[in-house]
Amino acid sequence: MVTETKPRSLVIVQLSGGNDALNTVIPYGDGLYYDWRKEVRIEQDRVLKINNQLGLNPALKSIKNLWDHEKVAVINGVGYPEPNRSHFRSIDIWNTGESVGIGDSGWLGRALREIDPNGENPIAGVNFGKGLPRALSCRGVPVASVSDLENYGLFPDIQGERSRDLTLSAFSQIYGSAMAHDNVAQFIGQTGIDALKGADILRTAPAQYSSAIEYANNPIAQSMKSIAQVLTADIGTRVFYTQHGSFDTHAAELETHTRLWTETSDAIADFMEDMKEHNLEDDVLVLVWSEFGRRIKDNSAGTDHGSGGTAFVIGGTVNGGLYGEYPSLKESDHLEGDLHFNNDFRSIYSTIAERWLEVDPAIVSNGNYEQHEFISPLTSN
Amino acid sequence: MATKGLEQGQFLRYVRTVGMTTMRGRGFYYPIDSAMSNDGGRLYVLSRSFERAVSDSMRVTMLNEDGEYFGVFGSAGIGDGQFRWPCGIAVNDQNRVFVTDEYLNRVSVFNESGEFLKHWGSEGEMEGMLNGPSGIVFDRDNNVLIADSRNHRIQKFTSDGEFVKSFGEYGSGDGCLNLPWGLGVNQEGEIFVADWGNDRIQRFTPNGEFVAKYGSPGREEGEFTRPAGVIVNQEGYIYVADWGNERVQVLSPDGEFVQKIRGQATNSEWAEDFLGVNVEEAGARKRANLEPDIEYFNDDPHEESSHIEKLFWGPVSLMLDAEDRLFITETNRHRIQVFERDN
Amino acid sequence: MPESQIELIAHLARRAGFGATREELEEYGKIGYEGTVDKLLETSSPQWMSEYLIRRYHPDESSMLAGLSGLEAWLYRMITTDAPLLEKMTLFWHGIFATGYPKVLNAKPLSDQIRMFKKYAMGDFRDLLVEMARDPAMIIWLDNQQNHKDSINENFGRELLELFSMGVGNYTEDDVKECARAFTGWTIGNCEYMELRSARDSDWPYGRISWHYEFDAQDHDDGEKEFLGRKGNFNGEDIVEIICEQEATARFIARHIYHFFVADEPPVPQWPYQPPRDPEAINQIVQAYFDSNYDIKSVMKFVFNSDFFKSEDCWYEKVKSPAELVTGVMRLTESVDRPQYEHSSRQLRMQYMGQTLSNPPSVEGWDGGTTWIDTGALVERMNFASEELGKLETPGSKELFSKIAFEGNGEVEADRIIDICLKHLGTINVKDDTRSKLVDYASENGVIRVIDQEIDDVGKEKIAGVVKLIASTPEFQRA
Repeated sequence: MVTETKPRSLVIVQLSGGNDALNTVIPYGDGLYYDWRKEVRIEQDRVLKINNQLGLNPALKSIKNLWDHEKVAVINGVGYPEPNRSHFRSIDIWNTGESVGIGDSGWLGRALREIDPNGENPIAGVNFGKGLPRALSCRGVPVASVSDLENYGLFPDIQGERSRDLTLSAFSQIYGSAMAHDNVAQFIGQTGIDALKGADILRTAPAQYSSAIEYANNPIAQSMKSIAQVLTADIGTRVFYTQHGSFDTHAAELETHTRLWTETSDAIADFMEDMKEHNLEDDVLVLVWSEFGRRIKDNSAGTDHGSGGTAFVIGGTVNGGLYGEYPSLKESDHLEGDLHFNNDFRSIYSTIAERWLEVDPAIVSNGNYEQHEFISPLTSN
Repeated sequence: MATKGLEQGQFLRYVRTVGMTTMRGRGFYYPIDSAMSNDGGRLYVLSRSFERAVSDSMRVTMLNEDGEYFGVFGSAGIGDGQFRWPCGIAVNDQNRVFVTDEYLNRVSVFNESGEFLKHWGSEGEMEGMLNGPSGIVFDRDNNVLIADSRNHRIQKFTSDGEFVKSFGEYGSGDGCLNLPWGLGVNQEGEIFVADWGNDRIQRFTPNGEFVAKYGSPGREEGEFTRPAGVIVNQEGYIYVADWGNERVQVLSPDGEFVQKIRGQATNSEWAEDFLGVNVEEAGARKRANLEPDIEYFNDDPHEESSHIEKLFWGPVSLMLDAEDRLFITETNRHRIQVFERDN
Repeated sequence: MPESQIELIAHLARRAGFGATREELEEYGKIGYEGTVDKLLETSSPQWMSEYLIRRYHPDESSMLAGLSGLEAWLYRMITTDAPLLEKMTLFWHGIFATGYPKVLNAKPLSDQIRMFKKYAMGDFRDLLVEMARDPAMIIWLDNQQNHKDSINENFGRELLELFSMGVGNYTEDDVKECARAFTGWTIGNCEYMELRSARDSDWPYGRISWHYEFDAQDHDDGEKEFLGRKGNFNGEDIVEIICEQEATARFIARHIYHFFVADEPPVPQWPYQPPRDPEAINQIVQAYFDSNYDIKSVMKFVFNSDFFKSEDCWYEKVKSPAELVTGVMRLTESVDRPQYEHSSRQLRMQYMGQTLSNPPSVEGWDGGTTWIDTGALVERMNFASEELGKLETPGSKELFSKIAFEGNGEVEADRIIDICLKHLGTINVKDDTRSKLVDYASENGVIRVIDQEIDDVGKEKIAGVVKLIASTPEFQRA
């Protein structure tokens, strides 16, 4: 039998807007890269080389450091058949795992339903930022969306502890007694009580947290800090979601891409360091993805919507290395002027579902997909 | 002279289109006003963007009319040099760039290359205070005139933001204003106001006394629907961005109708760059009929402009260069159409 | 006007509108219940915030370059309209003919579709169906641009029967095919370019281009068809005519009306297996549909004046949708008198509550009922309502303070405070135990005193606390 282990957590970092894969993992050894990218390119001497063909954008310096410690899996040529170059549609495809019709549930929502079928933990899935990504949505799966952890919960605008406590206590009594009214009231009443419970648990997380890491003062760093706070509080949250952007670099790409990646890369490295400090490094997995890559040829100021992206999987137990083939830059190999994807993003989902979250991969990834080796298969007990 | 232009049937002739939509950097995103450096060599295009968009989409783009790009400055926010609802832009005789913000109720000042210098203004109804500053223009004495829209008046300040005077009040009578927007000044220093809510242009002396009003609500020649911008050339011709009618009208110096134009945009340099890279779009565009015959939902030209790309959509602001060429900024099409005198 | 009559009108206002302020209810009271129904049904020249004002201050609401632009303008209309039933009917049809951004990928056609629903919402059902079939966003949403004379695409034909008119089980697969044939050639202009731009999210070089309907006679199959037992060289209009004659259509639409306006029914896919909550009411609505020759306005008039609608059994038997909740709250604050920078966040809050207009979760729209409620959504609903209604400076709050100050100088009893607040927030009936908890809270929170016909800031904060708590009650979540 296995000994008691900590539950494993998954952190999703969505690079919204369509990250330029070609300028992220750069084929600096291929002259064609410099032929296609006349303006929007990274010169060879600035690339952080990971082998004799590929290297990382210098803005990914912190991720390169994790790579050197073999904690980073780079998945190249990620996409899906008949790539869609609309942000909204492609994000929806990634979120639901449904690339033909319109999906009605998110892949993480389905994973959470498998983990907690009765929705007993109202904070099993938490989004940090505005709104609720479709990836987390699934009928009957409660998820919380937090824009400001310390003020999260009911009546965040009521000033003064006494007033707020008084209001919350009245709220709790009203919702408690409402359950006797009728079926609908019972449902609303129970949900209200659950919400109150979840909010209380979440809000207490920052108070319990201490760390030597100083996160930068930008949105992605602050989100990663919030995630660290909830994660270290050990309150049963299994899936964390956040996003950063906009990577939609039609113009001013070099400066924007550099800034966004510096922020993202530093935030993830700080987070991993934080996890290490809390001895959780082996219990978290970070997936970084974007809805599509960009055109191979630049438009002189930036790059337009393309296909074929890059994803990163980062964690203490990850088998670091390159996965998937780097798409060819030869014109005859292009897909309508874009990088040709060669591995389906749902393979990543499938791998994570089965090997990390230990749930049915077919349900989560919406079909049967070949799995990657960036996580070793679970050994059967 | 004027009559010559009339005899030929047109006063203005289309020249070219400048700019393109982009969310950041080279390009515009809902441009709401433009200004020109004193030598005409640099255009400053103010992108209003919108609330949900990324912060660096709200900016001033610097370029020249050939599409040479000099960079951007400003972003969304409430800090120094940032904007929330940027609305008007003007350049003074020192080539300093002034931007009004109708949410933050302040005027931000930058040097010619976009470095932030200072801001002034505060919200209120008292003299010198602002509520929704929109149109901005410098008069002959290098004082700045601001359409204090939600106070329904025009205020005059020194370049340093010292209050000089104000005129106008809410109403529809002579000299009264209703959410005024764009401003223009003629050679004599007279002030022209796009009296937006009253569907007319009003003309005031340099001291703010009512002189004349032009136009009435409607879509016929010489009528206006929510005019947003006005400018007067050296000869006294009055150009009006007839925003709600999606057109520009030319009036003679005494306010008689001369010409109306609906726009005829072509591909700008930057548009060609885009279509050159995205060849499948360029191909489909070539095969499409960009001027289809459509039965519109209503008779608001806003509808027609939403379907026919070359027509003005949201013509909001007007600039003239030394050669009397007219630059028309269109918010909804993220570009500038340039017209010249036809003679 | 007895209070019971005002309460009945408040029920009507919650269903035929977004709730009403106490002042509006008292105005309605003067013309009585039936007079109010007639007033709400009179929607020939609705007034709302000037479109020019919206376009001036929110250029994205004018050109709709970004995804889901148009939602904020719609929210302005719902909040400021003097014809709330028209907006409710538009929401109603949008929920049935649910069309979504993830496939259309152009905000203006979606906004145009909503505008079309508004124009035809309360007229002849046949006209609405024909316009819906011609609607460019609908054509793309259900692939009718791929429905060709020599190779039909059944998607639109099927959904027209299954989701938009008759419901499953009332037609054959052959009917679906014949229906699709009749709509061949119903497409959009410049289809190739417009589809390609959407698929690439292209707003280049100069922003989006609107879509227009185009009938391609060359691609239309004008041969003979056999549809629901009838034969002829039917085109789309003929098909609609036949559909509207069907009893199944009347029943399906009647149940939708009941579900949206009277009391929550189970989600649509369960309808074939679960009888309606009130079969007799459905029968009566069906009768009204045929009696009026498919005139929606007449049907609605019948429903609102019916005993089953007025019955207290169905009061509060609906969970408010996020659109209804946000709109209703903002109408109560009376604070949206001009374009506001903050407006954008209200629309986002609605999204956080689980409803993004023009982006339904599926072709079947929103299920409604208790599916609106989960922990995340409920927190958003309560926080939004309590934050907005608890603001001290809105015209709505000022009105409330003056009502309480009108009680006269001295201490105002907790009981009175609760009564005045409940009336002020749209004449809400809360259950007795809820009410007693509210009174307990108000007493514990400390006395509110009127001095010189004024309430000081501390007192106002306390009243705002009561309002916040009422806005978070289970009763406030329901309509």
